[in-house]
Amino acid sequence: MIQLFRVSKTFGANAALKDISLRIRKGEFVFVTGASGAGKTTLLRLMFGAEQPTEGQILINGINLNRISRVNLDLLRRGIGFVFQDFKLLNKKSVFDNVALASVVCGERFAITKKKTHQILRAVGLANKEQAFPLQLSGGEQQRVAIARAMINNPLILLADEPTGNLDPDVTRDIMLLFRTINLRGTTVLIATHSRELLENTDQRIVVLSKGMLQ
Amino acid sequence: MTWARYFKYALTNISTNRMIHAISMGTITISMVLFGAFVLFFVNVSNLVMEWGHSSSMSVYLKDGIKQDAKQRIESALINLPGAEFKGFISKEQALSDLMETLGPQSGILTGLTRNPLPSSFEIAFRDVQRLQLDPKKIKEELEKLEGVDEVQYSEQWLERFEAVIYVIKLVGLIVGSLLSVAVLFIITNTIKLAIYSRRDEIEIYKLVGATDWFVKAPFLIEGALQGIIGAVLALLILFGMYWLFSLKTIRVSGLPLMDIVFLPNGHIMFILCLGLVLGLMGSFVALGRFFRFFD
Repeated sequence: MIQLFRVSKTFGANAALKDISLRIRKGEFVFVTGASGAGKTTLLRLMFGAEQPTEGQILINGINLNRISRVNLDLLRRGIGFVFQDFKLLNKKSVFDNVALASVVCGERFAITKKKTHQILRAVGLANKEQAFPLQLSGGEQQRVAIARAMINNPLILLADEPTGNLDPDVTRDIMLLFRTINLRGTTVLIATHSRELLENTDQRIVVLSKGMLQ
Repeated sequence: MTWARYFKYALTNISTNRMIHAISMGTITISMVLFGAFVLFFVNVSNLVMEWGHSSSMSVYLKDGIKQDAKQRIESALINLPGAEFKGFISKEQALSDLMETLGPQSGILTGLTRNPLPSSFEIAFRDVQRLQLDPKKIKEELEKLEGVDEVQYSEQWLERFEAVIYVIKLVGLIVGSLLSVAVLFIITNTIKLAIYSRRDEIEIYKLVGATDWFVKAPFLIEGALQGIIGAVLALLILFGMYWLFSLKTIRVSGLPLMDIVFLPNGHIMFILCLGLVLGLMGSFVALGRFFRFFD
């Protein structure tokens, strides 16, 4: 599903990632961990095509991101859900519109978008908050909206960058349960986190980054 | 994604970002008012010259105390002048009366006169001066040789001077018009760019969920086009309001009517509307191009 071959990324003189080779299979649940500045976010951004590697190759579902056109990258992103620590929601749009957006950009008919949005919001427990605006919601609820948006197109891959970084332990547990459920439905899930609590008692694969290198 | 949907998105965006759009539209309107005012001025000056150019009249002023037979000789010479239409005789009293009527409420300045300073005159007109290849200057010289003629004046003299002025005005108009267009484009582009910049998070999120560039750009282009055309309509309304409010139907110089002011002809109104549309569209296009490069 995701393959990295000797990937390096530098920003000016700083090396964010050095010689990373990694393979993540379809349906896997993987944690990427490491201290702040270890290169977790850069790794996820490379997989999402938001950055180009300085060296090496990245294959997503067999597609080489080094050779992909801009339009095809847009199309590929529709199959990858991305959840951010700061949620990245449109505060002037309702919960419904925020989630529906990811379906609308795919050119889906409104009737189908509406049905899918209702379903996914019910699945994340926000059926009663459809018409609310993001700033009227708690942090946990906003993250659920972001997850719903990432999941509405049934992506093959879900990338989450510190998705519980701003949330309290109870809400964190709920969000992680949601990721597990998504993974059980067949979506490959990759979560970047520096939280030790999140990794305790987990039987999932853990990839550790240190100073841009795999441990 | 259909155009109707892009359109709906654009209208929703305008409604959601009312303040930004109001500021952009206000800027476009003010720029277009400046441009429209310039076009209005230019159209009226051109009309004035065209009006004067269509016909040419001549006044043959007679010396005070001219003898009756000399007056008759002049009259018959004018009647027989090729290409000329004899318009009549204006006596000194008639000339004063006409002037008083023209001055209207300001005619009081003439009441203190101890004698009538205006000369009597014969009026003639030439139709199609250019087609008949008449030389008003030569006619003037011939007429001034006649006994009892004090001076001959013809509108062509004014026109010659005015044609030089209109040439300069045209040249200045071209330069000022071009500069104004560039300035308006610059203002509109930067206003729209600021509006787009204020919504950069929105664009980023659209791109993150897999929106194509066209999906993001199309509503912005429609918004720009709408802003441009609405700005142009508002500018035309303001110009017409000013035109109507000040009742600039007739411009008077020292009480004398100089010209009738007209509003912009339909063709020019269409031009300003199209210009608004094109500038709004181009402003958005340029701003988006720059912004997307920044965003990449």
